[in-house]
Amino acid sequence: MLNTMKKFPFAAVCAITMLSASPSSAQQAIEIQVSYSSGQFQPSEVRAPADKPITFRVKNLDGKAMEFESKSLRVEKVVAANSEGVINVRALKPGRYEFYDDFNEKARGALTVQ
Amino acid sequence: MVLGALACLFGRGTPARAEDYSSWHDIETKYIFGFTLGSGIGLEGEKEVTVDAIGRFGKRDGSYAASETKYEFEFTPTQFIQIEFGALGSTHNISGVTGLDDRNQAALSGGFAELRYLAIERTSNNPLAVTLAIEPTIRRIDETTGEHVRNFEFETTVNADIELLKNRLFAGFNLLYEPEVTQTSLGDTQREAKFGGSAALSLRVAPNVVLGGEVWYLRHYNAANLTAFTGDTVLLGPTLFIRFTPKMFMTAAWNTQVWGREVGNSFSLNFEEFQRNRAKLKFAYEF
Repeated sequence: MLNTMKKFPFAAVCAITMLSASPSSAQQAIEIQVSYSSGQFQPSEVRAPADKPITFRVKNLDGKAMEFESKSLRVEKVVAANSEGVINVRALKPGRYEFYDDFNEKARGALTVQ
Repeated sequence: MVLGALACLFGRGTPARAEDYSSWHDIETKYIFGFTLGSGIGLEGEKEVTVDAIGRFGKRDGSYAASETKYEFEFTPTQFIQIEFGALGSTHNISGVTGLDDRNQAALSGGFAELRYLAIERTSNNPLAVTLAIEPTIRRIDETTGEHVRNFEFETTVNADIELLKNRLFAGFNLLYEPEVTQTSLGDTQREAKFGGSAALSLRVAPNVVLGGEVWYLRHYNAANLTAFTGDTVLLGPTLFIRFTPKMFMTAAWNTQVWGREVGNSFSLNFEEFQRNRAKLKFAYEF
Protein backbone atom coordinates (compact mmCIF):
# COMPACT_ATOMS: atom_id res chain seq x y z
CA MET A 1 0.00 0.00 0.00
CA LEU A 2 2.77 2.40 1.01
CA ASN A 3 4.72 1.48 -2.10
CA THR A 4 1.65 2.18 -4.21
CA MET A 5 1.22 5.57 -2.56
CA LYS A 6 4.86 6.44 -3.24
CA LYS A 7 4.45 5.53 -6.89
CA PHE A 8 1.26 7.58 -7.31
CA PRO A 9 2.84 11.07 -7.49
CA PHE A 10 5.41 9.78 -9.99
CA ALA A 11 2.67 8.23 -12.11
CA ALA A 12 0.66 11.46 -11.92
CA VAL A 13 3.64 13.53 -13.06
CA CYS A 14 4.23 11.12 -15.96
CA ALA A 15 0.56 11.31 -16.95
CA ILE A 16 0.56 15.11 -16.89
CA THR A 17 3.75 15.21 -18.95
CA MET A 18 2.24 12.83 -21.51
CA LEU A 19 -1.00 14.81 -21.66
CA SER A 20 0.77 18.11 -22.11
CA ALA A 21 3.26 16.93 -24.68
CA SER A 22 2.11 17.69 -28.18
CA PRO A 23 2.60 14.71 -30.50
CA SER A 24 4.21 17.04 -32.97
CA SER A 25 6.53 18.76 -30.53
CA ALA A 26 9.53 17.10 -32.19
CA GLN A 27 8.59 18.58 -35.58
CA GLN A 28 10.32 21.62 -37.00
CA ALA A 29 8.26 24.70 -36.17
CA ILE A 30 6.97 27.02 -38.88
CA GLU A 31 8.24 30.52 -38.15
CA ILE A 32 5.99 33.53 -38.62
CA GLN A 33 7.37 37.04 -38.28
CA VAL A 34 5.05 39.88 -37.40
CA SER A 35 6.00 43.43 -36.59
CA TYR A 36 3.99 45.81 -34.44
CA SER A 37 4.20 49.49 -35.13
CA SER A 38 1.92 52.51 -34.69
CA GLY A 39 -0.56 50.22 -32.96
CA GLN A 40 -0.93 47.84 -35.92
CA PHE A 41 0.27 44.35 -36.80
CA GLN A 42 2.19 44.08 -40.04
CA PRO A 43 1.22 41.88 -41.77
CA SER A 44 -2.16 41.51 -40.09
CA GLU A 45 -3.06 38.34 -42.01
CA VAL A 46 -0.63 35.43 -41.94
CA ARG A 47 -0.83 31.81 -43.07
CA ALA A 48 0.61 28.48 -41.94
CA PRO A 49 0.17 24.81 -42.83
CA ALA A 50 -1.96 22.57 -40.61
CA ASP A 51 -0.54 20.04 -38.15
CA LYS A 52 2.82 21.75 -37.73
CA PRO A 53 3.93 23.68 -34.65
CA ILE A 54 4.32 27.42 -35.14
CA THR A 55 6.69 30.00 -33.71
CA PHE A 56 5.56 33.61 -33.77
CA ARG A 57 8.35 36.21 -33.68
CA VAL A 58 6.69 39.49 -32.76
CA LYS A 59 8.85 42.60 -33.14
CA ASN A 60 7.45 45.51 -31.20
CA LEU A 61 8.74 48.64 -32.93
CA ASP A 62 6.61 50.97 -30.82
CA GLY A 63 7.85 52.95 -27.85
CA LYS A 64 5.56 51.17 -25.40
CA ALA A 65 4.88 47.57 -24.44
CA MET A 66 2.22 45.48 -26.16
CA GLU A 67 0.67 42.13 -25.26
CA PHE A 68 0.31 39.59 -28.04
CA GLU A 69 -2.79 37.59 -27.10
CA SER A 70 -5.12 35.07 -28.66
CA LYS A 71 -7.91 33.10 -27.00
CA SER A 72 -8.07 30.59 -29.85
CA LEU A 73 -4.30 30.08 -29.97
CA ARG A 74 -4.37 30.05 -26.12
CA VAL A 75 -1.24 32.19 -25.77
CA GLU A 76 -0.34 35.59 -24.38
CA LYS A 77 2.98 37.37 -24.11
CA VAL A 78 3.98 40.88 -23.16
CA VAL A 79 6.55 42.29 -25.59
CA ALA A 80 8.48 45.26 -24.23
CA ALA A 81 9.01 48.42 -26.27
CA ASN A 82 11.49 48.04 -29.12
CA SER A 83 12.08 44.36 -28.51
CA GLU A 84 11.08 40.94 -29.84
CA GLY A 85 8.86 38.27 -28.28
CA VAL A 86 8.84 34.60 -29.24
CA ILE A 87 5.58 32.66 -28.84
CA ASN A 88 5.43 28.92 -29.46
CA VAL A 89 2.11 27.50 -30.59
CA ARG A 90 1.05 23.86 -30.84
CA ALA A 91 0.35 22.19 -34.20
CA LEU A 92 -3.02 23.55 -35.31
CA LYS A 93 -6.01 22.21 -37.15
CA PRO A 94 -7.25 24.10 -40.23
CA GLY A 95 -9.13 27.27 -39.36
CA ARG A 96 -8.86 30.96 -38.63
CA TYR A 97 -7.19 32.05 -35.39
CA GLU A 98 -7.45 35.70 -34.37
CA PHE A 99 -4.83 37.53 -32.34
CA TYR A 100 -4.66 41.06 -30.94
CA ASP A 101 -2.83 43.45 -28.66
CA ASP A 102 -4.49 43.16 -25.26
CA PHE A 103 -3.35 46.72 -24.44
CA ASN A 104 -4.92 48.12 -27.63
CA GLU A 105 -8.07 46.35 -28.77
CA LYS A 106 -7.98 47.99 -32.19
CA ALA A 107 -4.77 46.18 -33.11
CA ARG A 108 -5.84 42.84 -34.56
CA GLY A 109 -4.62 40.16 -36.88
CA ALA A 110 -5.41 36.62 -37.88
CA LEU A 111 -3.62 33.40 -38.68
CA THR A 112 -5.20 31.19 -41.31
CA VAL A 113 -4.18 27.55 -41.06
CA GLN A 114 -4.77 25.38 -44.13
CA MET B 1 -22.44 58.41 -12.99
CA VAL B 2 -24.19 55.04 -12.70
CA LEU B 3 -25.60 55.46 -16.20
CA GLY B 4 -22.14 56.33 -17.45
CA ALA B 5 -20.67 53.19 -15.90
CA LEU B 6 -23.43 51.06 -17.45
CA ALA B 7 -22.83 52.69 -20.82
CA CYS B 8 -19.14 51.81 -20.55
CA LEU B 9 -19.93 48.19 -19.61
CA PHE B 10 -22.47 47.65 -22.31
CA GLY B 11 -20.38 49.14 -25.03
CA ARG B 12 -20.23 52.34 -26.89
CA GLY B 13 -23.23 54.32 -25.70
CA THR B 14 -24.90 54.21 -29.10
CA PRO B 15 -27.55 51.52 -28.75
CA ALA B 16 -29.14 52.27 -32.08
CA ARG B 17 -25.98 51.46 -33.97
CA ALA B 18 -25.84 47.98 -35.44
CA GLU B 19 -23.12 45.96 -33.72
CA ASP B 20 -20.64 43.97 -35.78
CA TYR B 21 -20.47 40.94 -33.49
CA SER B 22 -17.83 39.26 -35.61
CA SER B 23 -15.47 42.09 -34.67
CA TRP B 24 -15.66 41.22 -30.96
CA HIS B 25 -12.68 39.41 -29.51
CA ASP B 26 -13.06 35.71 -28.75
CA ILE B 27 -14.27 35.07 -25.22
CA GLU B 28 -12.99 32.62 -22.62
CA THR B 29 -15.97 30.34 -21.89
CA LYS B 30 -14.99 28.83 -18.54
CA TYR B 31 -16.95 31.25 -16.35
CA ILE B 32 -19.81 32.44 -18.56
CA PHE B 33 -22.32 29.71 -17.52
CA GLY B 34 -22.63 30.23 -13.75
CA PHE B 35 -22.26 27.01 -11.74
CA THR B 36 -21.85 25.20 -15.05
CA LEU B 37 -18.22 25.41 -16.12
CA GLY B 38 -17.22 25.97 -19.71
CA SER B 39 -14.33 24.29 -21.46
CA GLY B 40 -11.86 27.18 -21.21
CA ILE B 41 -8.48 26.54 -19.61
CA GLY B 42 -6.93 29.99 -19.98
CA LEU B 43 -3.90 31.01 -22.01
CA GLU B 44 -0.47 29.44 -21.75
CA GLY B 45 1.51 31.39 -19.19
CA GLU B 46 -1.55 33.09 -17.73
CA LYS B 47 -1.98 33.20 -13.95
CA GLU B 48 -5.06 34.16 -12.01
CA VAL B 49 -6.04 34.78 -8.41
CA THR B 50 -9.69 34.46 -7.56
CA VAL B 51 -12.14 34.60 -4.70
CA ASP B 52 -14.99 32.22 -5.46
CA ALA B 53 -17.85 32.14 -2.94
CA ILE B 54 -20.80 29.77 -3.01
CA GLY B 55 -23.71 30.36 -0.62
CA ARG B 56 -26.45 27.86 0.17
CA PHE B 57 -29.68 29.05 1.72
CA GLY B 58 -32.85 27.50 3.12
CA LYS B 59 -33.89 24.14 4.52
CA ARG B 60 -37.39 22.84 5.14
CA ASP B 61 -37.68 24.66 8.46
CA GLY B 62 -35.72 27.08 10.65
CA SER B 63 -33.04 29.36 9.29
CA TYR B 64 -30.14 28.03 7.22
CA ALA B 65 -27.28 29.91 5.52
CA ALA B 66 -23.90 28.38 4.72
CA SER B 67 -21.09 29.43 2.44
CA GLU B 68 -17.85 28.04 1.14
CA THR B 69 -15.24 30.34 -0.39
CA LYS B 70 -12.29 29.25 -2.49
CA TYR B 71 -9.18 31.43 -2.24
CA GLU B 72 -7.62 30.20 -5.40
CA PHE B 73 -4.54 30.44 -7.60
CA GLU B 74 -4.75 29.07 -11.11
CA PHE B 75 -2.28 28.88 -13.95
CA THR B 76 -2.00 27.39 -17.41
CA PRO B 77 1.41 25.75 -17.94
CA THR B 78 0.65 24.43 -21.43
CA GLN B 79 -1.90 25.01 -24.17
CA PHE B 80 -3.84 21.93 -22.98
CA ILE B 81 -3.64 21.93 -19.17
CA GLN B 82 -4.78 24.19 -16.36
CA ILE B 83 -3.92 23.72 -12.69
CA GLU B 84 -5.67 25.31 -9.73
CA PHE B 85 -5.23 25.05 -5.99
CA GLY B 86 -6.16 26.95 -2.90
CA ALA B 87 -7.70 27.14 0.55
CA LEU B 88 -11.33 26.92 1.60
CA GLY B 89 -13.15 29.11 4.09
CA SER B 90 -16.66 28.39 5.31
CA THR B 91 -19.43 30.02 7.30
CA HIS B 92 -22.51 28.43 8.88
CA ASN B 93 -25.49 30.25 10.35
CA ILE B 94 -28.03 27.63 11.37
CA SER B 95 -30.93 27.84 13.80
CA GLY B 96 -34.01 25.73 14.27
CA VAL B 97 -33.36 23.35 11.39
CA THR B 98 -34.59 19.82 12.05
CA GLY B 99 -31.67 17.39 12.21
CA LEU B 100 -28.95 20.08 12.41
CA ASP B 101 -27.35 21.67 15.46
CA ASP B 102 -27.70 25.43 15.81
CA ARG B 103 -24.43 27.02 14.80
CA ASN B 104 -22.93 30.43 14.05
CA GLN B 105 -19.33 30.05 12.93
CA ALA B 106 -16.64 30.95 10.39
CA ALA B 107 -13.61 28.77 9.81
CA LEU B 108 -10.73 27.89 7.54
CA SER B 109 -12.24 24.64 6.38
CA GLY B 110 -9.86 22.88 3.99
CA GLY B 111 -8.00 22.89 0.70
CA PHE B 112 -8.36 21.75 -2.87
CA ALA B 113 -6.51 21.26 -6.14
CA GLU B 114 -7.82 20.90 -9.68
CA LEU B 115 -6.38 19.60 -12.92
CA ARG B 116 -8.14 20.45 -16.19
CA TYR B 117 -7.26 18.90 -19.54
CA LEU B 118 -8.61 20.25 -22.82
CA ALA B 119 -9.60 17.11 -24.71
CA ILE B 120 -11.36 18.67 -27.71
CA GLU B 121 -10.48 22.19 -28.78
CA ARG B 122 -12.73 24.65 -30.60
CA THR B 123 -11.61 25.91 -34.00
CA SER B 124 -13.34 28.08 -36.57
CA ASN B 125 -14.49 24.81 -38.19
CA ASN B 126 -15.52 22.99 -34.98
CA PRO B 127 -17.78 24.79 -32.49
CA LEU B 128 -17.49 22.12 -29.76
CA ALA B 129 -14.87 22.12 -27.00
CA VAL B 130 -14.56 19.61 -24.16
CA THR B 131 -12.46 19.70 -21.00
CA LEU B 132 -12.01 16.92 -18.45
CA ALA B 133 -11.41 17.95 -14.84
CA ILE B 134 -10.62 16.32 -11.52
CA GLU B 135 -10.72 18.16 -8.21
CA PRO B 136 -9.68 16.46 -4.96
CA THR B 137 -10.78 18.39 -1.87
CA ILE B 138 -10.15 17.88 1.83
CA ARG B 139 -12.30 19.47 4.53
CA ARG B 140 -12.19 19.69 8.29
CA ILE B 141 -15.62 21.31 8.44
CA ASP B 142 -18.69 19.59 7.02
CA GLU B 143 -20.17 21.56 4.12
CA THR B 144 -23.79 21.12 5.24
CA THR B 145 -23.76 20.83 9.04
CA GLY B 146 -20.65 22.86 9.93
CA GLU B 147 -19.45 20.06 12.24
CA HIS B 148 -15.79 19.16 12.63
CA VAL B 149 -15.14 16.16 10.37
CA ARG B 150 -12.51 14.64 8.12
CA ASN B 151 -13.89 14.76 4.60
CA PHE B 152 -12.29 13.78 1.31
CA GLU B 153 -14.10 14.53 -1.95
CA PHE B 154 -13.04 13.71 -5.50
CA GLU B 155 -15.03 15.73 -8.01
CA THR B 156 -14.84 14.57 -11.61
CA THR B 157 -16.44 16.64 -14.34
CA VAL B 158 -16.79 16.88 -18.08
CA ASN B 159 -17.13 20.53 -19.16
CA ALA B 160 -18.37 20.98 -22.72
CA ASP B 161 -19.56 24.00 -24.64
CA ILE B 162 -20.70 24.85 -28.14
CA GLU B 163 -20.47 28.20 -29.89
CA LEU B 164 -23.93 28.47 -31.46
CA LEU B 165 -23.46 31.96 -32.89
CA LYS B 166 -19.94 33.26 -33.49
CA ASN B 167 -18.86 35.34 -30.48
CA ARG B 168 -22.48 35.68 -29.32
CA LEU B 169 -24.38 32.62 -28.17
CA PHE B 170 -22.97 29.67 -26.29
CA ALA B 171 -24.42 26.48 -24.82
CA GLY B 172 -22.65 24.74 -21.96
CA PHE B 173 -23.01 21.21 -20.58
CA ASN B 174 -21.52 19.59 -17.48
CA LEU B 175 -21.47 16.00 -16.33
CA LEU B 176 -20.61 15.54 -12.65
CA TYR B 177 -19.57 12.59 -10.51
CA GLU B 178 -18.56 13.54 -6.98
CA PRO B 179 -17.81 10.73 -4.52
CA GLU B 180 -16.80 11.59 -0.97
CA VAL B 181 -15.98 9.95 2.31
CA THR B 182 -16.50 11.61 5.69
CA GLN B 183 -15.30 10.59 9.12
CA THR B 184 -17.36 12.26 11.83
CA SER B 185 -16.14 13.38 15.25
CA LEU B 186 -17.82 10.25 16.68
CA GLY B 187 -15.66 8.05 14.46
CA ASP B 188 -18.40 7.03 12.02
CA THR B 189 -17.48 6.77 8.36
CA GLN B 190 -20.03 7.90 5.78
CA ARG B 191 -19.69 7.40 2.05
CA GLU B 192 -21.82 9.31 -0.41
CA ALA B 193 -21.82 10.60 -3.97
CA LYS B 194 -23.48 13.16 -6.19
CA PHE B 195 -24.11 12.46 -9.82
CA GLY B 196 -25.75 14.71 -12.38
CA GLY B 197 -25.47 17.18 -15.13
CA SER B 198 -26.34 20.64 -16.30
CA ALA B 199 -27.24 22.60 -19.39
CA ALA B 200 -26.73 26.34 -19.79
CA LEU B 201 -27.29 28.96 -22.43
CA SER B 202 -25.41 32.27 -22.42
CA LEU B 203 -25.81 35.29 -24.67
CA ARG B 204 -23.09 37.90 -25.01
CA VAL B 205 -25.16 41.08 -24.92
CA ALA B 206 -22.12 43.36 -25.06
CA PRO B 207 -18.41 42.73 -25.63
CA ASN B 208 -17.84 42.49 -21.86
CA VAL B 209 -21.21 41.25 -20.58
CA VAL B 210 -22.77 37.78 -20.85
CA LEU B 211 -26.25 36.90 -19.55
CA GLY B 212 -27.73 33.44 -19.38
CA GLY B 213 -29.55 30.72 -17.56
CA GLU B 214 -28.77 27.20 -16.42
CA VAL B 215 -30.52 24.09 -15.17
CA TRP B 216 -28.97 21.35 -13.01
CA TYR B 217 -30.21 17.84 -12.29
CA LEU B 218 -28.45 16.22 -9.33
CA ARG B 219 -28.84 12.80 -7.72
CA HIS B 220 -27.55 11.86 -4.28
CA TYR B 221 -26.42 8.42 -3.14
CA ASN B 222 -25.30 7.02 0.20
CA ALA B 223 -22.57 5.08 -1.58
CA ALA B 224 -19.69 6.06 -3.84
CA ASN B 225 -20.67 3.46 -6.45
CA LEU B 226 -24.13 4.98 -7.00
CA THR B 227 -26.06 2.04 -5.53
CA ALA B 228 -27.96 3.63 -2.61
CA PHE B 229 -30.12 6.37 -4.15
CA THR B 230 -31.52 8.81 -1.57
CA GLY B 231 -32.99 11.65 -3.62
CA ASP B 232 -32.62 14.08 -6.48
CA THR B 233 -33.33 17.66 -7.41
CA VAL B 234 -33.63 20.17 -10.23
CA LEU B 235 -32.10 23.62 -9.81
CA LEU B 236 -32.74 26.52 -12.15
CA GLY B 237 -31.52 30.09 -12.36
CA PRO B 238 -29.88 33.04 -14.12
CA THR B 239 -26.18 33.68 -14.72
CA LEU B 240 -24.09 36.80 -15.29
CA PHE B 241 -20.52 37.40 -16.42
CA ILE B 242 -18.88 40.83 -16.58
CA ARG B 243 -15.34 41.62 -17.69
CA PHE B 244 -14.42 44.95 -16.09
CA THR B 245 -10.97 45.26 -17.66
CA PRO B 246 -8.89 42.98 -19.90
CA LYS B 247 -7.47 41.44 -16.70
CA MET B 248 -10.40 41.51 -14.26
CA PHE B 249 -13.82 39.89 -14.32
CA MET B 250 -16.65 38.64 -12.16
CA THR B 251 -19.24 35.95 -12.52
CA ALA B 252 -22.47 35.46 -10.58
CA ALA B 253 -25.27 32.90 -10.55
CA TRP B 254 -28.39 32.07 -8.60
CA ASN B 255 -30.03 28.64 -8.56
CA THR B 256 -33.40 27.83 -6.98
CA GLN B 257 -34.64 24.32 -6.34
CA VAL B 258 -37.73 23.93 -8.54
CA TRP B 259 -38.24 20.19 -8.12
CA GLY B 260 -36.96 17.52 -5.80
CA ARG B 261 -37.78 14.29 -4.02
CA GLU B 262 -36.45 12.38 -1.04
CA VAL B 263 -36.62 8.61 -0.96
CA GLY B 264 -39.06 7.60 1.80
CA ASN B 265 -40.66 11.06 2.09
CA SER B 266 -43.55 12.59 0.22
CA PHE B 267 -42.19 16.16 0.44
CA SER B 268 -42.28 18.14 -2.76
CA LEU B 269 -38.65 19.30 -2.64
CA ASN B 270 -35.41 17.69 -1.45
CA PHE B 271 -33.97 19.52 1.56
CA GLU B 272 -32.19 16.53 3.03
CA GLU B 273 -29.21 16.74 0.67
CA PHE B 274 -29.80 20.08 -1.06
CA GLN B 275 -30.84 23.62 -0.19
CA ARG B 276 -33.68 25.83 -1.37
CA ASN B 277 -31.30 28.28 -3.10
CA ARG B 278 -27.63 28.55 -3.93
CA ALA B 279 -25.64 31.54 -5.15
CA LYS B 280 -22.21 31.97 -6.66
CA LEU B 281 -20.07 35.10 -6.77
CA LYS B 282 -16.56 35.05 -8.13
CA PHE B 283 -14.00 37.80 -8.71
CA ALA B 284 -10.80 37.11 -10.63
CA TYR B 285 -7.65 39.01 -11.51
CA GLU B 286 -5.35 37.71 -14.24
CA PHE B 287 -1.68 38.50 -14.60
